[in-house]
Amino acid sequence: MAGPDVRIQPAGGLPGGGLGTDEDRVRAAIKAADQGAGVVILGDLGSAILTVRHVLERHGNGHVRLADAPIVEGAIAAAVTASADMPLDDVVRSAEDARGAGKL
Amino acid sequence: MAQASSEAIVVRLPAHVDLHARPAADFVRTAMGFGAEVQVSTGEREANAKSLLSVLALGAKGGTELRLSATGDDAVAAIESLSARVATLSD
Repeated sequence: MAGPDVRIQPAGGLPGGGLGTDEDRVRAAIKAADQGAGVVILGDLGSAILTVRHVLERHGNGHVRLADAPIVEGAIAAAVTASADMPLDDVVRSAEDARGAGKL
Repeated sequence: MAQASSEAIVVRLPAHVDLHARPAADFVRTAMGFGAEVQVSTGEREANAKSLLSVLALGAKGGTELRLSATGDDAVAAIESLSARVATLSD
């Protein structure tokens, strides 16, 4: 939908295969997704959000942003917006607008 | 200074193309290329043409008439471009 130019990097789970969120995986995913114009992170809840916030507190800059958005709808909306070469603020906003979007 | 203008047109989705995720993404990307505010309406519902989720929620089936309306400096260009895009949408 968003084409090959938008990089989507998964970062779920622990290295041993367990449930959870691993800081190193999050950092590696941010690095892999970054093409210079910014990175938008979407998480589900719980440790995913806590871990990302922790990573961004220590390494954050305005260039990597955690969106307050549902993960599936937010990711799709953000990816399509990014594929239109829109600015980072617009990409984040499109993900966050997904909070109020009905499916029906 | 350019005057903000308004423009509207009615177009029809190709008969075999429902406005599902992929064609909707193509439609929304086209709308995002313009500064104008663009709305798309099926008659029953209206959506922001730059919001994928809003456009998907229209649930527009192939052959549906869509009313496109735009307001802004590049409204005319936005409507021309979007109506052409709708005509060439594919699955």
